[in-house]
Amino acid sequence: MLKFSLVEFSVAHPKLIVSLTIIFTLAFMTQFPRMKTDTNPKNMLPATSDVRVWNDEVDKTFALYEDMIVLGIVNDRGVLNRETLARISSITDAILKLKGAAVQDVNGFPTITNVTSESGILTVAPLMPEVPKTDQEVAKLRKMLFGNPLFVDRIISKDGKTTAIYVPLEKGANGKEVADKIREIVRKEKGAEKYYIAGDPVARDTFGAEMFRLMAIFAPIAGMVMLAVRYLMFRDLFLSITLMMDAMISIVWSMGLLIAFGFPIHIMSSMAPVFLMAIATDSIHIFNEFYFRYRERKDKKVAIIETMHAVGRPVRYTALATAAGFAVLLFMNIIPVRVFGGLVAFGTVALRILSFSFVPAMFTFVKEKNIEKAARGEDVSFSKASRFLRGLAGFGAHRPQVTVLVGALLCVVAIIGVTNIVVNNNMVEWFKKQSEIRIADTQINRALGGTSTGYVVAISKEEDFIKNPEAMRYIESLQRHLEKLPIVGKTFSVADYVKRINRVLHDDDAGFDVIPETKEAVGQYLFLFSMSAKASDLNNVVDYPFSQANIWVQLKTWDAQAMEEVIRAVDDYKKAHPFPLELKPAGIAYFNLVWNDEVLWDMVKGFIAALIAVFVILIFNFRSFKWAVVGYVPLLFTILLIYGVVGFSGKRFDMPISVLSCLSLGMAVDFAIHFIGRFKQRLAESSVGTPNSELITESLLWTAARPGKGIMRNAVLFAASFAVMMFAPLTPYITVGAFIVSMMMLSALMVIIYLPALIILLEGWLFRGGST
Amino acid sequence: MMVLGLRRAGWVAVVAGLAVLAVAPAAAQPTAEEIMAKAHLAMFYPGEDMRARVTMRLVSRDGKERVRELTMSRRDLQDGGEQRYFIYFHRPPDVRDMTFLVWKYPGRDDDRWLYVPALKLVRRIAASDKRSSFAGSDFSYEDVSGREPEEDTHKLLRGEKVGERAASVVESVPKDPGSVDFTRKVSWIDKATWLPLKEEYYDRRGELARVFTAEELKEIQGFWTVTKRVMKNTQTGHFTEAVFADVRYNQKLSPDLFSERALRAPPAELSR
Repeated sequence: MLKFSLVEFSVAHPKLIVSLTIIFTLAFMTQFPRMKTDTNPKNMLPATSDVRVWNDEVDKTFALYEDMIVLGIVNDRGVLNRETLARISSITDAILKLKGAAVQDVNGFPTITNVTSESGILTVAPLMPEVPKTDQEVAKLRKMLFGNPLFVDRIISKDGKTTAIYVPLEKGANGKEVADKIREIVRKEKGAEKYYIAGDPVARDTFGAEMFRLMAIFAPIAGMVMLAVRYLMFRDLFLSITLMMDAMISIVWSMGLLIAFGFPIHIMSSMAPVFLMAIATDSIHIFNEFYFRYRERKDKKVAIIETMHAVGRPVRYTALATAAGFAVLLFMNIIPVRVFGGLVAFGTVALRILSFSFVPAMFTFVKEKNIEKAARGEDVSFSKASRFLRGLAGFGAHRPQVTVLVGALLCVVAIIGVTNIVVNNNMVEWFKKQSEIRIADTQINRALGGTSTGYVVAISKEEDFIKNPEAMRYIESLQRHLEKLPIVGKTFSVADYVKRINRVLHDDDAGFDVIPETKEAVGQYLFLFSMSAKASDLNNVVDYPFSQANIWVQLKTWDAQAMEEVIRAVDDYKKAHPFPLELKPAGIAYFNLVWNDEVLWDMVKGFIAALIAVFVILIFNFRSFKWAVVGYVPLLFTILLIYGVVGFSGKRFDMPISVLSCLSLGMAVDFAIHFIGRFKQRLAESSVGTPNSELITESLLWTAARPGKGIMRNAVLFAASFAVMMFAPLTPYITVGAFIVSMMMLSALMVIIYLPALIILLEGWLFRGGST
Repeated sequence: MMVLGLRRAGWVAVVAGLAVLAVAPAAAQPTAEEIMAKAHLAMFYPGEDMRARVTMRLVSRDGKERVRELTMSRRDLQDGGEQRYFIYFHRPPDVRDMTFLVWKYPGRDDDRWLYVPALKLVRRIAASDKRSSFAGSDFSYEDVSGREPEEDTHKLLRGEKVGERAASVVESVPKDPGSVDFTRKVSWIDKATWLPLKEEYYDRRGELARVFTAEELKEIQGFWTVTKRVMKNTQTGHFTEAVFADVRYNQKLSPDLFSERALRAPPAELSR
C-alpha cells in the first residue's frame, strides 16, 4: 500500500518530511500578496450569463442604472415643514457631490421632474428647486405632491410622514461605500427626522464585505476553539498544535493554489478555510487510535505504524468521500461554485497526504513521557466516555426493532416536514431583524412603493408602436393588473407621463387624466415632455425608436419569489389580453430571482450528484453493496431529519442552505465509514469463518467504545468550532452553524445507536456468504 | 436703438467695456471679461437676424439615435440684448408643424410659447430653468441662445492651440452657484473669430460633466458660424450633434413675425 509506505517513510525520516512540508507551505505562501477579492455576490453569475447580458441591454436601452440606493426620511409630524424640507435640500446637495452616485439622475424633492400647469403656464421643472420660505409655499408643495400620482408612494407616503431620495449608482460603484457616505451626511443633520438607507446594493455589498470580515474573525476563533477542545481531550499541547497545523497547512496550500491560478477570492471561497478546518478534524481518529495503541504497545514508532494501519483505510475513504462530495461541484454551472468545489477537494486531499506524512512525522518528536501520561486515560474499560458510548450502542444492539421503528417513524415525520419546505431567497433577510439594513428596508417598504425594483419591458418590432394609444392603454391596464398584487407597491411607465401631460395641458382637468385619442397627440406630448424634462425621465421609460416601453415595478419585498409572482401575473394578463407586444421581465429583482434559482438548483444538482458519488465510494470502500446501503442509512437519516426540521420551522430553503446541503454530504458519511470499517476489521481479527451473533454484538459494542470515542470526539470538536458561528450577525452564518452542529451530533448519534440496531436486524442479510 | 431694451446695469457695463475697447490701442491684451463678451456676441448675435435648418442627432451611449430637424430663426432686437427665436419642427414626423417661440430677455426669465398641433393649442411654457434640455438634446437653452457673460466671473488661464487655431483659455465661475448645474466652465475662444472652439463644464463634484466642441466653422455672408457642434455628456456617454445647414443672415425678418399668431400658422420665412 502506497500510503502505508509513506507513513513508514515519514516515521523513518521525520525531519525531511517536516522540512519538505515547510518548504511547500512557504512556496504557496509567496502567492498570498497577489490575492484579489471579489465581495460582490452578484458575480456568482458571470457577466456573460443570459440574465446579466439581458439586464445590461435593458439598462442601456433605457439609460438605467443597475443599482439604486433608497434613502428614506421620516418625520413623525410629517416631512412637509420648512425645517425638514431644508434638511432634505441640504442632504440632496451633499448627495449630488458623492463619487459613485449617478448624480444627474438622483431623484428626490429638489430634483424630481414635476409637470404642472399654473395660471395657463405649463411647467416642466424640478419639484422643489428651492426650499419653501413661507407656509403658503409649503402648502403649494403639498398640493403638487399629492396632486401628482407619479409622486405618491414614490417620493411621498400617503400619510406625508415619509419621503425618499433615490440614488442610482454609477457602474462599478460599491453600494456599501456610497451608503456609508450617505450615512455620514445624514448624521450631521440634527432634528426629529429619522433616516433609513436601503436598497439591494447596500445589502449586497454590505453582505459581501461582512462575510469577509466575519471569515477573518470566525476562522481564527473556530481554530482556537478546536485547539482548546483538542487540548482538553488529549492534554498535549504539542500534538494538539500539530493537528491544527495540519489544517493550517492545507489551507495555505489550497488558498495559495487558488491565488496562483489567478482566481479572485469570492465570498464562497472565503468560506473554504473554515470548511477545511472542519474536515481536518477527521485526523482525530488517528490521534484517538494512537493513544489506545500506545497504551497497548508502549513503543512510539510501532504504535504510529499500527495506528495508521488500523485507521488508514477509513481515513482514506472518508477523505475520498469528502473530496468527492466537493469535487462534484466542479461539474456545476456556476463558476464560483466550481472554484469552491475544486478548492475544498484539493484541500481535503492535501489534508490526507499530510495525515499520512506530516502528522506521523511530528508524532515522532513527542516525548514518550507525555504520551504515556495522556494515554493513561485512554482505556476502554475505565473511560467514562467509552462506557457511555458502549451503553448507547448497547441500546441499539439489544433493542434493534424498537430503535429501527422509532427511526422509521421519525423519518415519516421528517418527510412530511420536507414537503413543507418553501424555496425562497431574500438577501435583506440575511441580516438580522434588528439590523440597520433590515429595519431600513421594512420602514421604507411600509411607507412607500418599495425598495426592490423590477421591470417589465414591452417590446414591439415596429418603430413608434409605443405611441399608439392602444399600446399606451395596454401598458396602463397591465400596470393596474400588477398593482393588484400585494407585493407590488407602485408601478410607473410612459403612460403615466402621457396622462399627466394630457391633464396638465387641459388646465389640470381630472377628466383628461387619460391617454389621448390619437398617436399624434401622444407623440407631441412626449416631445413636449422631452423638451424640458431631464433626458433620463423619458429615456428610462421608452427606447429611442419608441418600439419598447419599460414599466417600473416597485416591490415591497426582496423575496426572489415576488418577481416570480409578477411574471406570473404578466403571463396571465398576456393570455387574457392578446396584443402584439412582447412582455419580458428585467431589473435587479429579476436578476435576484434568476440568480437565486440558478445557484439554488445548481446546488441541488450538486447535492444529488454528491449523493451518488458518496454511495459509489461506499461500495468501493466496503467492497459490498449491502454494507454500502447500511453505511448510507445514517447519512440519509440525518439529512432527512434536518430538512424535516427546516420544513416545520418555516425556515425557507434559500441559497445558504442549498450550499450547505451539498457540503454536508461528504462530511456526514464519515462516521459511518469509520464505524463500519473498524467494526468489520475487529470482527475479522477476532473470528474465523462466519461470525456468530454474540461476536457481532460484542464487536459492535467494542467499536462504539473505541473508534466510537473518536467519532464522538470528532463530532464534538466539529460542533464546538461551528457553534461559534451561531453568534454571527448574519443569518446565513447562524444557519451554517446550527446546521453543521446538528448534522454532526445527529450523524454521530445515528452511527452509534442506529447502525448497531440495523446491523443486528439485518444480520442474516449482511453476513450471508460470510464477511469480508 | 442703443438704449432700447436695456434692462440691466451689467449690460451697460459690457457696452461701456466694448466702447472702451474700441478706443483702446489694438495691441492691448484683452481681458478675460472682454474675451467672453466678444465671444458671446460672435456666437449668438451675428447679423440682425439669422435662419438655419438645424438637424440634431441625439445619440445614446450605445449608439441609438433620435433625430430632430427644425428651422431655427432668430431676430435680435438689440446686439447683445433682447432676442426672439422661432422654431419650426420638421422631424420627428409626429411633431411636424409643432412650433416654439422664445422671447429672450437678458436678466430675466424668457417668455416661451409652444403650439401643440394635435390639440390646436398654444401654451405658455414656464422658463425658469435655462439649464434644462433644449428639445431633449444635450444642449441646454443657454447653450442654444447664450448665457450672459455677466453671470460668471472670468479668468484668463493661458493661450493654447485647438487644432490649428490659436485660442484663449478662459475659466468662468458662476456668481450664483445655486442657480446652475456647473461649478466651473473652461472655454477655448478662437483668437481669430471669437467663437468658442471647446467648452468644458464641471459638476459640483468637480468632475467633468459635459463637453462642447465646435466641429466645423464656416464663414457665411461675412459671419463666422459654427455649422457643426457637439455637446457630449461625459458621464452618461450621451451626445448631441447639431448641424446648421442653409444658414442665412440678414434676411430682414421683422420682429413682428415672431408672434403667437405665427405659432399656429407659421409664415414661409420661418418654416422653410
